[in-house]
Amino acid sequence: MLHSLYQQWFPIASSTDLVPRHVYQAQLLGREFAVWRADDGYVNVWENRCLHRGVRLSIGINDGRELKCQYHGWRYTNRTAGCTYIPAHPADAPARTICNNTYPAQEAHGLIWAGEEANGPLPDLGAHANGIVLRPIPVHAPAEMVETTLQSYDQDILFFVQPCDSDHCIIRGIAKPNDDRTVLLRQHSFALGELRDQVEAHAALVEAPARYKPVIARVAEDFIDIPTLTKEGRTADLPVTITAKDIIAKGIARLRLEPLKCALPTFQPGAHVDVHLQNGLVRQYSLTNGPGETDHYTIGVKLEPDSRGGSSTIHALNLGDNLAISVPRNNFPLRRDAVETILIAGGIGMTPLLSMARALNVQGLPFAFHYFVQSDAHIAFRQEIGTFADAATIHKGLSPEDTSTKLSEILAEPGPARHVYICGPGPMLDTAREIAGRTGWSDTQIHFEYFKNNTQRNTSGSFKIELARSAMTLTVPEGTSILNVLHENGINMSSSCELGACGTCRCTVIAGEIDHQDVYLTDSEKAAGNAMMTCVSRARSDRLILDI
Amino acid sequence: MKLYNYELSGNCYKLRLLMSFLGVDYETEAIDFYPGQKHKSPDFRQINPLGQLPAIEDNGLVLRDAQAILVYIASKYDADGTWYPAQDPALLGQVMQWLAFADGITATASAARLHDGLYYSHIDVEAARKGAHTLFRILDEHLFFAEDAGQAWICPSDQPTIADIACFPYIMLSEEGGINRMDYPAIRRWCDRFKRIPGFIVMPGIFPAGPAFEKPAA
Repeated sequence: MLHSLYQQWFPIASSTDLVPRHVYQAQLLGREFAVWRADDGYVNVWENRCLHRGVRLSIGINDGRELKCQYHGWRYTNRTAGCTYIPAHPADAPARTICNNTYPAQEAHGLIWAGEEANGPLPDLGAHANGIVLRPIPVHAPAEMVETTLQSYDQDILFFVQPCDSDHCIIRGIAKPNDDRTVLLRQHSFALGELRDQVEAHAALVEAPARYKPVIARVAEDFIDIPTLTKEGRTADLPVTITAKDIIAKGIARLRLEPLKCALPTFQPGAHVDVHLQNGLVRQYSLTNGPGETDHYTIGVKLEPDSRGGSSTIHALNLGDNLAISVPRNNFPLRRDAVETILIAGGIGMTPLLSMARALNVQGLPFAFHYFVQSDAHIAFRQEIGTFADAATIHKGLSPEDTSTKLSEILAEPGPARHVYICGPGPMLDTAREIAGRTGWSDTQIHFEYFKNNTQRNTSGSFKIELARSAMTLTVPEGTSILNVLHENGINMSSSCELGACGTCRCTVIAGEIDHQDVYLTDSEKAAGNAMMTCVSRARSDRLILDI
Repeated sequence: MKLYNYELSGNCYKLRLLMSFLGVDYETEAIDFYPGQKHKSPDFRQINPLGQLPAIEDNGLVLRDAQAILVYIASKYDADGTWYPAQDPALLGQVMQWLAFADGITATASAARLHDGLYYSHIDVEAARKGAHTLFRILDEHLFFAEDAGQAWICPSDQPTIADIACFPYIMLSEEGGINRMDYPAIRRWCDRFKRIPGFIVMPGIFPAGPAFEKPAA
């Protein structure tokens, strides 16, 4: 019987219960829900427990975009319920598998409807459609008993009884539209209260039925720690359609991508997606979205004068064109525990930093957003930058020398809990890296994202790779990458840019001398010699032992 | 002013709240309520013969009873006269009505918490919980219709009054006495509003609210 109830829609709240920045607590068939409305109006119905330690999310904080657990501050985003930040692991991006349970929900006729596995249409309300929603009356009695008693109540009211548990329910009534709304609400609040007292007195005389036992899924052990990178390769799992496209600055197109089926996965600031184009090319673009903006992804694409078919193809796309993209990956995660975060953007390199700045801005964390552009006409995402007020500084038309001077000013004072994130053209990043090294910033405080790898790469020489966990030894011939050899031999290894810039195909090296050719690892990580980018880096020694 | 204080006491918290809202400076003297039972000691009974917290001393005046002290502090230190609206008879009557109601919350919800949390095993906890639910049903209905009339607080004023302060702590701590508030959505929303009053402070078991919703600039 419980199973058939699982398929049904039940009202679990009045629309007016979900005021902004509030978390409503509900229960249906024994399962507790945390219900909250995001600032964009979306109604989230989630299991009422944090995946971490099981604390009720109904005591958490709804910041309008995300729900934050009171206990250890895990943040879950609007719509997907995916975890976007774990304060105890500030340098890591939470795995996509850390996602709370969500339940079907709809808002109609002044009520929030939900169900364990509800499907199909909502009940037809007939003459009561868009009527007056009565004050809900919770009753400590079985729903069936309450339903029977309600049969002798005012026939003009349409009733739904929400079975919270086997011995607890809520009467939710709808009256036909009426001028004397307040009088009617008061009258029924009192009369239903009297009815409740009667039913509860009766229920106290009979034996209470056994409580419903909702299935509480076990939380995977992995959630205790940050899981390792996902294993799938370069795949395009998400079909999306272009629902808006405009030129927002000289040579820069903004594209709004909405899913063609199912919902978009959770992203965090700094994340990028692979866009698979019709001509077979695969390009990486950072998501510019703010926190909780989970119904679409927005990317900014600069038309490169020497485009090899990537940016020019995207600029030629039109509204309604479909694309295949990868799930978002985040190799440029944003810490939220810095006393100050300095974001330095060069040109189109502003896109991941824009998403970071929007998250910091919403959370009220201190940051500075420095945006280097060629000219006024090149400023992209002006409206979003406008919301940063004094935190944003735009540096226009600086020569390489002036840029270097300005970067020296911005990076003048390394501090123990200050963090710098930089994304932009290669020469600017190289300059910043050199200045940061000179001023004493440590590698762990300054985070770079290159959008390409301009270093001259050397693919000469053959060597062997020993895969410690797979018990295989493979030969990497001249002119072929480790990544290709792995894929040819059926070994899954995620990859994205395949140019040594994005960090997706990072691999732990157990032994052997690495010939680093990427721009993702920091100098100290390269010197430590225990990690490499398998898409471009090679071996100086005859053989490498990899943790694969 | 000196407050005889116990950190886990909701009644002492009422006074800490009001003094924080008003920006009144005060010192505290910690009374070891549990496990020391120092509120029943001969020394403390010379301050309050009832052997109960809180009590204050202000310029030689010794005063006991949380609600009475709220009236005193608000009358003396709130220049705007909004927390204790002595100039508005109808409003003042309602404030006093809900102060008495708050005593009922203390007698039930606080008693259940003392039973569950501080080993007051002589308390009939089922009766205490039932009594608290009866009061919460009344307050939830009151707040539902207050909200419906565009009124944010327990009494019909644009500003919160000491009636809100008197009711807040033991409602917010009720779960420590096994009293779930899921059935009281209007009370839960009022708790959020209360936590957003400028100057709000927390105590163990009471968390802060998140930022309030502000309409984005057009």
